[in-house]
Amino acid sequence: MFPSLARVCEPVALCELAQVVRSKNAGPTLLTLDVFFRDAAACTRAACSPALAPLAVPLLYEVPAGSVQRHLLPKLRAIKFTLSRAVCEASPGDVDLCGAQQHAPLLGLTL
Amino acid sequence: MTALHATSRLRASHRPGTEALRVLSASGQLGYGIPAASFERGMARWPHFVSANMGSINPGPYDLATGLMDAPGSSARRDLALVLAATLKAGVPPIIGSAATADAQSQLDRVTAPVREIAAELGHSLRLVTMASDILAEGVVQALAQGRLAAIGPMPDPTEDEILSFSHIVGQCGVETFQPTLKADPDVILVGRACDTAIFAALPALLGYPLGLALHMAKIIGCASLCCEPGGRDAMLTELTTDGFTPESRNPARQATSDSMAAQALYEQASPETVEEPGGTLHLQSARHEAVDQRRTHVSGACFAPRLRPTLKIKGATRLCARALLVAGVDDPGLIDVLDAVLQDVTVKVRSPIPGDWQLVPHVYGRGAAPRLAPAQQSAHEVGLVLEFIAPERELARTLAAVYKQNLLHHGYPARVTTAGNLAFALTPSVVDADMACRFVLHHIMADVPVDEFFKQSVHDLVNGSLS
Repeated sequence: MFPSLARVCEPVALCELAQVVRSKNAGPTLLTLDVFFRDAAACTRAACSPALAPLAVPLLYEVPAGSVQRHLLPKLRAIKFTLSRAVCEASPGDVDLCGAQQHAPLLGLTL
Repeated sequence: MTALHATSRLRASHRPGTEALRVLSASGQLGYGIPAASFERGMARWPHFVSANMGSINPGPYDLATGLMDAPGSSARRDLALVLAATLKAGVPPIIGSAATADAQSQLDRVTAPVREIAAELGHSLRLVTMASDILAEGVVQALAQGRLAAIGPMPDPTEDEILSFSHIVGQCGVETFQPTLKADPDVILVGRACDTAIFAALPALLGYPLGLALHMAKIIGCASLCCEPGGRDAMLTELTTDGFTPESRNPARQATSDSMAAQALYEQASPETVEEPGGTLHLQSARHEAVDQRRTHVSGACFAPRLRPTLKIKGATRLCARALLVAGVDDPGLIDVLDAVLQDVTVKVRSPIPGDWQLVPHVYGRGAAPRLAPAQQSAHEVGLVLEFIAPERELARTLAAVYKQNLLHHGYPARVTTAGNLAFALTPSVVDADMACRFVLHHIMADVPVDEFFKQSVHDLVNGSLS
């Protein structure tokens, strides 16, 4: 059975498609976001979604467009984003030393 | 003939290609309470050596800047005693890297002392080899002048004067840097700042295992059972052969699946397919993950490409200013609505009696303190305030927090209906001394460093815990 086209195009919450959504510091100057999807179709759909496009994620995180790298990892059914941190880890003004709660903006996305 | 110590016994008796090398990852956070049952189950598998990571940048620059240790001394001692008693009894070497959070000499000393005490309590004679990873500021100044210093991510290059003023600078010891310590035939190895990988891969590398496999294994098991489904802090026993490795959590509830193994290689990692090490680059593109059974996965295929001239990752931290905190709740929707403006007004009000070079950093939980929240998701009914006051002197920081508290408590704003007070305090005192603000000032790559002879090691031959 093929899923109907209408169903494929229905907007769906990222949380419906993802198994793991996480953020973490990668050294004190970088932040990395990993999203692991339930299956290959979900990963493909997410990779094609405007909400996770290379220009959309910098807007979501309010950082310059050039400071985000997107890695598509179909073998792992995953997408990774690596961002520059606006404030270095733990310098005055930083809000999340480990960067472990910076996945939250992704949780609200609709793909 | 002199009796061999633990590392030489292993080197004399183990040949890659015969039996598998059994590596026990005791902990990725030694000092915060190792789960004892799974560690003991790991020791029951007769590991050839035991490794544990004791440091992290996660607690921030405070420990490196001050020389302190994030883990409480008593729980660090408890974990060290657990690992030392088991490994000395089994006659296998424990390798503890990134000793005491931030890993400078002062932190290394905080671990060396209890190790000696524990050895004495156990009545053991042993050879302890330590390596501090402190770097002289002059060497960094020279690297800056010669153009051998490059920032990792957005981190400004410091000036020469700044470098000379930094509290502590450490370099990250890689597999190559560990080699002299292992060749000194230790029973126990304690190293300062270390690559997470080197703590687990250095001894397999010395024994002749392929570096790509050893480093990939280290990347996966470096945080113990965090690589499993569900993740946890239990010890991990890994069998390493010349064609791959098979990790297994010593907590039966945790499964090392092919997905969880692959995912762990991305953890805290800027790039998904390469890991930069002092001596070269670990390439993971060709890694393969094959399920052995429900709880184990065989991992193979990673390779290592050495670079011609080794590099060293360095980290520096410094103290900034004193800091005090005000912690309070706000439950009046009228105040929450105008809170940003009120905090600014009160800041202006407080500057009048208390001038000077001070700064307020407000964290308003419920309104998007970490990370930002869209307006529709912000709480209109209750928010938590953590107000940071940063000032040159501790007394000034505390004074500011106290004066600010009283002014905010009774500040008038349009539409105010209460006349009693604007804040809910859960704590007495409501003003908390938060020691000092610190910052990382170096997170750089120093090029062209002779990493295998850069740091000084010390050999301590202990008889019942005392120097012989």
